[in-house]
Amino acid sequence: MVQSTPLFDYHIGWKSKGKHPGRHKSNQRGMGIEFAGHTTLLSYPDPRRIDIRQSIRDPLGEIHVKIFNQRSATPVMIVCDLSASMNFGGKNKKINLAAEVAQSIAHSVIDRHDALGLIGFDDEIREDWLAPLSFRSQHALTLIHELKKFTSTDKSNRAIKDLYQYMPRERSLIFFISDFHMPEVELENCLSNLMRHHVVPVVLWDKKEYINLPDFGIVTITDPESGKKNTLFLRKELKEKIVDSFEKRRAVITKAFMNFDIPPFFVDDYFNATKMTEYFNQFVGA
Amino acid sequence: MTFSFPWVLWFIPLAFIPLFFKEASIQYYSWNEMIPKDRLSRIVAIILKFIATMILLAIIIGLSGPHSRQKEIEKTGIGAQIGLVLDRSASMDDPFAGNDQSKVGEMKSAAAARLITDFVKSRTNDMIGMVSFSNSGMYVLPLTDNKNAVISAVRATAGNALFQTNIGSGLTTGAELFNKVPDSGSRVMILLSDGAGRIDAATQEKIKDWLGRFKISLYWIVLRQPGGISIFNTSYKARDDEALPPQIELNEFFKTLHSPFQAYEAEDPKTLQKAIEDINQKEKKPIKYFEKIPGQDYSTHCFVVAALMMIGLLMLKLIEVRSWL
Repeated sequence: MVQSTPLFDYHIGWKSKGKHPGRHKSNQRGMGIEFAGHTTLLSYPDPRRIDIRQSIRDPLGEIHVKIFNQRSATPVMIVCDLSASMNFGGKNKKINLAAEVAQSIAHSVIDRHDALGLIGFDDEIREDWLAPLSFRSQHALTLIHELKKFTSTDKSNRAIKDLYQYMPRERSLIFFISDFHMPEVELENCLSNLMRHHVVPVVLWDKKEYINLPDFGIVTITDPESGKKNTLFLRKELKEKIVDSFEKRRAVITKAFMNFDIPPFFVDDYFNATKMTEYFNQFVGA
Repeated sequence: MTFSFPWVLWFIPLAFIPLFFKEASIQYYSWNEMIPKDRLSRIVAIILKFIATMILLAIIIGLSGPHSRQKEIEKTGIGAQIGLVLDRSASMDDPFAGNDQSKVGEMKSAAAARLITDFVKSRTNDMIGMVSFSNSGMYVLPLTDNKNAVISAVRATAGNALFQTNIGSGLTTGAELFNKVPDSGSRVMILLSDGAGRIDAATQEKIKDWLGRFKISLYWIVLRQPGGISIFNTSYKARDDEALPPQIELNEFFKTLHSPFQAYEAEDPKTLQKAIEDINQKEKKPIKYFEKIPGQDYSTHCFVVAALMMIGLLMLKLIEVRSWL
């Protein structure tokens, strides 16, 4: 568990309903420091919390008790896109990077004693890549370990529309790892179904997809999901167009996510855990 | 345009395989829809497939052996259609005696071949065919304007001779040369023989009929044996019941032909030359004839085109990106 997996710091912007003590704000009464209000000793018989000042002020002589909210654990789900497009990248495939990110998330979650679950999907929600939400995260960790050796074949990511059915009922933090190479409509449908959760989109793009393309030559590329083939005559002009197309796509994706008020987290060649911490500090109100 | 092996053309559909099959590629991308439409790339893709198809097409067509048909061009020239009917009987191998005994002779056949070769060379636009005869007529060469063939044929007759003299068969075979050949207006048959033979009545009728029908004028050059009877010797009287000598009888027969006839008698190469020159002088009329131009073979062109396109394809292959990942 220690290894050298980089950890990041995360928090949630709402009050967790989890009863399990943890590190996140919660609306559960308990041994916290967040003052929630007063009640009588009779209805909350905890003499340790008697508020003497409030009790003296009461003309009826009722004894008052302070109520605090405890800090609770929050469920965290990792959703990983297992479609064939994640195979891109030659030696250093996107799916490997996804595994790396997932591992960092998993260890950060374990560090904060939150519940962890993992779902992999391609054309269907993969039952064999499903680790139900649990405080004992071995299952998820095993899957993440296997993810490093995973190679998808010909599968698309159509099951994105069914994702919400597998999410916890209470509001959760969802790390969505994918390259988001999918039609916008599907993405928007998915996000609107996941609106009750807090989604953190981790967008995996490889620079070899656009900026680091070869400068000159003829190449026939195959779409791993549809099998469609295109012959490209790579040259400066076309490369500029491709880079341009990716920048536009970046804007489109960002806009789609921002419509749901969730800024995307782009990962280019490697995963920087510190950036993820910054992401939470910047975008998620404490 | 025709093909030597037309059945190979059945394989032409195979040439279009590259158009229907997808490019072989193991370069997986993430999402092809991210690639903007690019006209030049599309053109290159089409060119690649097109070149592959054209290479296969060129090879298949090349294998089928395309060639143009032989052409016949009508030409007009001065000359005649000449049928050479040469005697190949054993007596042609005797030396030319002539009156000049000092000359230890050139053989008659050799002299004839030499002089006729010169004759053939001097005629530019003639069509010449050849028949030789001994026991029977031997078809040697159809009427042709190919000088080399004629000269070779004439030279070939200078070899060893055979048997006897059957003029009738030689003449009928010679007349057949003109069958199925368009009449140029000037048709000549040169019969070169030593001595003569008798021709039976049926053959005589046939010769008379054919020569008349084909409008062939006949020149008869007799190589006279020393001391032999001249055909022009009209004073010759046969003894009582003996038949006329064959030469005279033949000459008499030829005179009855419906077509023009002229006889020459040669005793030595000089007189033979004179006779031939005389014929050369007489037969100069404009004639129409067809020249055959052989068809051209285009299969090499196809293979060269295929090879050039293969080089082009290889060049494009050189700038192919193998992997950038």
